[in-house]
Amino acid sequence: MARFQPRGTTPAIRRRRRLLVRIGLAITVCLLIGLFTWPSASIFSLYSFGLFSSGDDFQLETVRYYDLSNVQGTARGWEREERILLCVPLRDAEPHLSMFFSHLRNFTYPHHLIDLAFLVSDSKDRTLEVLSNNLEMIQADEDDLQHYGEISIIEKDFGQKVDQDVESRHGFAAQASRRKLMAQARNWLLSAALRPYHSWVYWRDVDVETAPFTILEDLMRHNKDVIVPNVWRPLPDWLGGEQPYDLNSWQESETALALADTLDEDAVIVEGYAEYATWRPHLAYLRDPYGDPDMEMEIDGVGGVSILAKAKVFRHGVHFPAFSFEKHAETEGFGKMARRMQFSVVGLPHYTIWHMYEPSVDDIKHMEQMEQEKLAREQEEKEKAEKAKKMKEQFGDTASQWEKDKSEMHNIAAKEGKKETVETTPKNKVADGQAVPVKAAGAGEPANGQTKEKAPTKDAPKAAQEKGAKKEDRKI
Amino acid sequence: MARPMGPVRLKKTSTLTLALGACLCIFILCFLISSATPDFSASRKATAASHPLSPPTSPFRKSSSPGGKSKPPPVAHYNLNNVTITSNPIEHGENILILTPMARFYQGYWDNLLKLSYPHELITLGFILPKNKEGNAATTELQKQIARTQKSGPEKDRFKSIIILRQDFDPPLPSQDEGERHKMQNQKARRSAMAKARNSLLFTTLGPSTSWVLWLDADIIESPPTLIQDLALHDKPLIAANCFQRYFNTEKKKMDERPYDFNNWQDSPTAQELASKMGPDDILLEGYADMATYRALMAYMPTIDGGTDIHQEVPLDGVGGTALLVKADVHRDGAMFPAFPFYHLIETEGFAKMAKRLGWQASGLPNYKVYHYNE
Repeated sequence: MARFQPRGTTPAIRRRRRLLVRIGLAITVCLLIGLFTWPSASIFSLYSFGLFSSGDDFQLETVRYYDLSNVQGTARGWEREERILLCVPLRDAEPHLSMFFSHLRNFTYPHHLIDLAFLVSDSKDRTLEVLSNNLEMIQADEDDLQHYGEISIIEKDFGQKVDQDVESRHGFAAQASRRKLMAQARNWLLSAALRPYHSWVYWRDVDVETAPFTILEDLMRHNKDVIVPNVWRPLPDWLGGEQPYDLNSWQESETALALADTLDEDAVIVEGYAEYATWRPHLAYLRDPYGDPDMEMEIDGVGGVSILAKAKVFRHGVHFPAFSFEKHAETEGFGKMARRMQFSVVGLPHYTIWHMYEPSVDDIKHMEQMEQEKLAREQEEKEKAEKAKKMKEQFGDTASQWEKDKSEMHNIAAKEGKKETVETTPKNKVADGQAVPVKAAGAGEPANGQTKEKAPTKDAPKAAQEKGAKKEDRKI
Repeated sequence: MARPMGPVRLKKTSTLTLALGACLCIFILCFLISSATPDFSASRKATAASHPLSPPTSPFRKSSSPGGKSKPPPVAHYNLNNVTITSNPIEHGENILILTPMARFYQGYWDNLLKLSYPHELITLGFILPKNKEGNAATTELQKQIARTQKSGPEKDRFKSIIILRQDFDPPLPSQDEGERHKMQNQKARRSAMAKARNSLLFTTLGPSTSWVLWLDADIIESPPTLIQDLALHDKPLIAANCFQRYFNTEKKKMDERPYDFNNWQDSPTAQELASKMGPDDILLEGYADMATYRALMAYMPTIDGGTDIHQEVPLDGVGGTALLVKADVHRDGAMFPAFPFYHLIETEGFAKMAKRLGWQASGLPNYKVYHYNE
C-alpha cells in the first residue's frame, strides 16, 4: 500500500500543481505584505477587519451628547470637575512666552481641567514655534499633574496694518480700528475653541508679569458671570514706582452716556484719552493696597487682561463686538453686552495683578536722556576732581607749610600748657580733621551740589508730565 | 488497525491543502478578532480626532483601553487661513455644519436630511433640544434615527459627526403649539429664548474646520437634495431660501402652497419710523396685522413675477432661520442671534442686522423653495 501511486498523478500534473501552489503562495505573501505596508489601502476597506488594520485598531465615535445644564459654572468648580477654557490671543509675543509659561506651570487649578487655546495672528517672529515647543514640553512632562486638557493652536492672519509697538498701539486715532481688529481676533479664537463641556472661559494676556497662582479659584469663588481683577503695572522709580494699567474696567457715568448720544453710529469711545472725557469711576484708580481683596464693584466696561467668565455668557451670544456696540468695541463692548443680557459684571478693586512694564518711546528717550545726564554728571565730577587734584598739587607747598606751621604751633602749645594736655589735644585734632577736607573738596563742592539739585528740579516736572502721558500708553 | 496510518496521511496532505488551511485560519482569526459592528472607511478614520477632547465637528477614536492610563491630549494645530469658503464646496472638500434647534422631531425632516446629495462625510449635524417632556421625547426619537443611520446605515448615508445638546434654560412657553407660539405678546420671550438656543448651539459646535453653517429648522420636511450646493453657488455671506408650506386648498380642492416664513424682508421707511418711536427694549415684528411695517417680504416675491428663475437673488435686511446658509467667517467675526432688542430686532432678524454692522450683506432666493411641515 505504501507504494501505491494514484493513477492520475503523472509528473505533468504534479508539476502543474506545484506551479499552482507556488503562485498561490506568492499571491498570499504579496497580499500580506501589502496589507501590512498599506493598512488603509482601498481594496481592503471592504475587508476592514480588526487584525489587519493593526495600525489603527480603533472605532470611531461620531455622536456626542451634552447636557448644557451640567456646565453652568459654580463657586467651587474644581470640586465639581468644571472645565475652563483658557484663551490667549497672541501677536509677536515671543519675548513674553517664557514668562507666560512659568505662570502656566504654577496654576493651582487642576491642569487637566484647563483647556488651552491660542490664536497666533500676523506674527513675524517665532511665536508659533516657541509656543508649540513649550506646549509639547508640558504635555510630555513626567509629572502627570502638569498635563493640560485639550490644547489648540489656531493660526489666522487678519492682515492688520496697525503696528503693534507701544506708540502706535496707543495712539488715539488708531484706537477704534485697532480695537475692532482685536475684537475680531478674540471672537475667532473663542468660536473655534469653545466646546459644549466648558463651564468657564478665562481670558489672559500673555504679558502679565505677576499674578497669584490661585487666581482662577480666587475669581471663581465670587460666582459671578463676568469678573476681572484690578490690573496695575510696576514703573521705574523716576515714574513713581507703580501705576494703574488697565483703564477699560469702569462704571458707566452720565457724562459718558450723554457723550455717547452725540457720537455717530460707528464711533467708539475709548478710555484714557483727553478727547473723550467720560468722568467714569475706574476700577484701577479705586485700589487700596491694604483693602479687602474680596471687595466687589459693579462695572459696565471690562478690560481684557484677565477676564473670568462663565461659559454660558458666551454660549448665549455675548462676544467682543468688532463693531461699535453702544459706542464701544472689544472688551468694553463685551462688558456692555453682558450687562445688556442681564449678566453680572464685577471687578475686584483691591485684588491686583501686575502687567509688565514696557517703556514707551518717550520713556526710552527720557531714560536715554537720564543716562546721558548721568554720564555728563560723572564726567563733570571727574573733571572737578581732577581740577581739585591739580590745585592741590599746585598749592601743595602751602598745604605742607600749613601743616608744618600747625605742628610747630602744636609743639609750642604743648610746651606751654603741659597741665591741660588731656583736654586740648583732642579739641585740636577735631579742628584739624575738619579743616583739611573742607579745603581739599572746597573747589568741587558747590558745583557738585548744583548738579545734584538741578537733576531733581529738572526731573520733577518731567516725571509729572510722563505720568500724565502714561495714561496713553496703557492698555486702552 | 495495527498498520501505521501516519505516513499515509502525511503523504496525502499536499502543500496546496496546507496553504488553503492557513488562509482559512487567518480568515477565521480575522473574524474572531474584528468586532462585530461595521466601522468606517480609512479616509474617514484619517480625519478623526485622537482624543475625546477635540472639536465636536470631527468624530474621535474610542479609547481601546478604558481602564488604562490615558495619554494627555496632543497639541493640536489648526490653520484657519487654509479653511476655504468657495462657491464650489464639494470640489474643495469644505465642511458644512447643519444646525437645528429642535422642539419636536419630524420623520420628514430626517428623511429629507438623508436625501441631501452633499457628501455626508463632510456634513456635521448639531441639534439643541429643550429639557422638558416634549424635548425628551424628541431626543429619544432623534437618537433612534441617528443610531440607525450612523451604526447600521450604508456608509454614504452616515454623517461625519453629530452633536446633541440639551438646553440649559427652560423654554419660556409651556407649549409649542402653532397658535400659542405665534401670539404676538409671546414673541419677544419666545424668540429671545430661541436666540439663546441658537447661539449656544452655534458657539459650542462651530470649531476650527467649518466652512459653512446651514441653519435648518426642524420642521423643514422638503427641500431640493442639492440645497447646500445651490445656496453655496451664490457665494453670499448669508443666503436664505424661501420657506413655503403645502396645504390642502379647500377652494381649489387640491394641494397648494402658501408662504410661511415672514422674517426674510427688505426694510421700509415705515418700519424705520416705527422703530424710531419705540423704546429701547421694544421690538418690531413681522406678519402681525396690528404692526404694519410695509416691508417687502421675500415670502410674497415669487407670486409677483411668476417665480421661475430659482437663482434670482434679492438683497435682504432681515432673515429667517428656516433654511439659511451662512459663511462660517460671519459667525466667527461675532455675528450672532441677539437675544435682546438690537436695533429693535431680535433673533434671526437681529442677526442679519449685526452681520451688516460687521460688513456682511444678507441675500435671499425668492424662487428657491423649501417646505415647512403642516400641523
